[in-house]
Amino acid sequence: MEILEQFRNLISVENKFIKGWKHQNKPVLGYACSYTPEEIIYAGEILPIRVLGSLEPPKLADVYLPVNVCSFAKCCFDEALKGEYRLLDGYVVSNSCDNQNKIYDLWRHCTAINKTYFINTPHSSTENAIKFFYEELERFKEWLTKEFDVEISEENLKDAIGIFNENRRLLKSVYELRKRSPPLVSGSEALEIVLSSMMIPKDEHNKLLRVLLEENEKREDLPEKGVRLLVSGSVMGNSELFRLIESVRGCVVADDLCTGSRYFWNLVRENGDSTMAIAERYLCKIPCPFMYSSEERFKHVREMVKLFDVEGVLIFSLKSCDVHSFDAPLLAEELRENEGLPVSCLEWEHSLSGIAQLRTRIEAFIEMLEE
Amino acid sequence: MSERRLETLRGFYRNYVKPFYEVAHKAREEGKLVAWVASTFPVEIILAMDIIPVWPESYASLCAARRVSVPLCELAERKGFSKDLCSYPRCVLGSLFDGENLPEGGIPRPDILVASTCACDTHLKWFQVASRIFKKPFLLLDVPYNVESANAENLPDYYIQHYVSQLEDLISLLEKHSGIGLDEGKLRKTLELSSRASELWLKIQDYRKKVPAPMGAREAFSAVYFILCIPGTEQAVDFYERLCAELEQMVKQGIGVVEDEKYRLVWDNLPLWFDLQMFPYLRSLGAVVVAETFSHVWTGSLDPSKPYESLARKHLSNMSNCAIEGRIELIAGLVRDFRANGVILPTNWGCRMMTIGETVVKKKVQEMTGVSSLILDVDSTDWRNYDEYRVKTKLETYLKTLT
Ligand code: SF4
Ligand code: SF4
Repeated sequence: MEILEQFRNLISVENKFIKGWKHQNKPVLGYACSYTPEEIIYAGEILPIRVLGSLEPPKLADVYLPVNVCSFAKCCFDEALKGEYRLLDGYVVSNSCDNQNKIYDLWRHCTAINKTYFINTPHSSTENAIKFFYEELERFKEWLTKEFDVEISEENLKDAIGIFNENRRLLKSVYELRKRSPPLVSGSEALEIVLSSMMIPKDEHNKLLRVLLEENEKREDLPEKGVRLLVSGSVMGNSELFRLIESVRGCVVADDLCTGSRYFWNLVRENGDSTMAIAERYLCKIPCPFMYSSEERFKHVREMVKLFDVEGVLIFSLKSCDVHSFDAPLLAEELRENEGLPVSCLEWEHSLSGIAQLRTRIEAFIEMLEE
Repeated sequence: MSERRLETLRGFYRNYVKPFYEVAHKAREEGKLVAWVASTFPVEIILAMDIIPVWPESYASLCAARRVSVPLCELAERKGFSKDLCSYPRCVLGSLFDGENLPEGGIPRPDILVASTCACDTHLKWFQVASRIFKKPFLLLDVPYNVESANAENLPDYYIQHYVSQLEDLISLLEKHSGIGLDEGKLRKTLELSSRASELWLKIQDYRKKVPAPMGAREAFSAVYFILCIPGTEQAVDFYERLCAELEQMVKQGIGVVEDEKYRLVWDNLPLWFDLQMFPYLRSLGAVVVAETFSHVWTGSLDPSKPYESLARKHLSNMSNCAIEGRIELIAGLVRDFRANGVILPTNWGCRMMTIGETVVKKKVQEMTGVSSLILDVDSTDWRNYDEYRVKTKLETYLKTLT
């Protein structure tokens, strides 16, 4: 379907919507992590887009960084060094993991991006943490207002929350299509749809999603049937790995990724003070593993497994990603023992170096499930 | 070149480290509460509550010094923990998975685990995993990152407040688990002792500013134990007083730790715990480590009349909790104050904090002080990738460039 192609093409910092936005003299802000409260940025008529790196080997970044560093965070830094993010008016990091936090130092010292901001996202969701985060968001708002000369009113915030929630609901409807067998959208298509939602204004994305949901009813070129898999991990900035899985008869029907379901699964409460509602949403969402509790994420995986009728789970950890790597054996054990599910844990590099070996292992896992 | 040993440090392991584990093991048997504590957690609270602290990081370094850390890391790796994780948790978790002949009878098991997010994600994740293994509660102090590397005075009030309210909640939880209330008087006393130990430790560092320096890294990485693990105790104060006295004598007599001091070095991050002979080797080349960043991150005065607030200020401005500027300024300051002519920047394979940004540190320190640095890609505990010959050659070549 043509609309699917459109989504794929939007995953670029030079897409037509970003250009159009810049054309109207409105700022674009890159962000590093799914804990960035995008609604606040958007409410100030600033376009938040996610920095997703690329598949190229990070040659420039290698001058500054050794090998034992998260290849995703490294690759984003590399793109910044190369000047690929010249359209960005600033870059925001939100206290996610050590790799991101420390590489943020290098962004400040070594790249041409001059407006940078660090949001101190707490690592727990207690009442104290929410109160603190609220203050932190107020400070962030002040920074945005001053740096970009914009206004962020309560009314703007309410509108932004409405639009973002709508996007989340629509994305959930897209995921619904994957419950069928064969699924009505493939894993790589679904990932591309979610990734594209991070790269254009959400109201525009909503329009596209509505078209997709309508057209999909009549879809004829359905994705292949295959072994129904859930993929768990951190970021995937493109769909190459999913395509690889699909090329060896895997059918990714669900995920636990920070560029997948963890990005949009939870809504923001639409009553009461907006900033407080945003603070709550981000701290109480399906957590990434740098948060105090892993249990909630494990629970999410178990639920996804049931909802999407999953037959096997692939857990991907990017090499040198501490937080996911610590969780991987625990999550695997829990799924094997409590859910009786086959699980395979794999390490990978964001640039997909060593892909041949990865393919062999994934294929072997799928073959085992086919038996 | 002959090397001088400090009297105060004679039998350090036997006299201080070993008994520490004996006490902790015995405490378990007697049903006293044992807590696993991560560095950068305000241990004064634990000490004041008579809970027995056990330091998994220290245990890992001990295993490395005894050359058993690698087999333990391998055990953890077999359980699926990545080789790219910090070798401390790999080693300690490995020791829990049927490790044999463990030093000091193994790490004492915890009834409760406490950590803060000050230093790294590793503390959080490692303790989370351990808490699942032991089925014991894990309490976290979630410390806001100090991205401006600001002095505590310049941080927003709500940062301090956040730390304080968490500490209050955490103390009530500890009280609930231990059945012991925190005695305010005792806390005050502990903080006083901690401040005193900190002052003495800084005084010890001051002696090292003298040329020739009376103490090197080998001693410092042992003696730092008190300020790191049990700062709020009489034992810490007493030990540091004795060390001060000895150093004072040496300084008076102009005795240095090496006879012919040619190079004065600053050492960042951790030592190679499995090869502490590195330091005597450096001395044999006329190089003495006069300052370690590690010796300067645990200090800080505490105000017993504002216990929680002063703990908050101390930890929020700990270099481990700061953006890179904190590290750069500390190292440049040490170079100047200790009249160093070289800086060694060892990385630590699984530690992002000690790995990312070394190139920037090197460049900035050079700009600020004119002193060049040597980056060594190593690991503190896991020697599998360690090439002793290569590292020594690098060091020798580097020393020759120093003036
Ligand atoms: S993959 Fe892991 S290390 Fe890399 S940015 Fe994400 S959470 Fe951080
Ligand atoms: S060595 Fe680094 S990663 Fe490991 S516990 Fe220490 S600070 Fe954390």
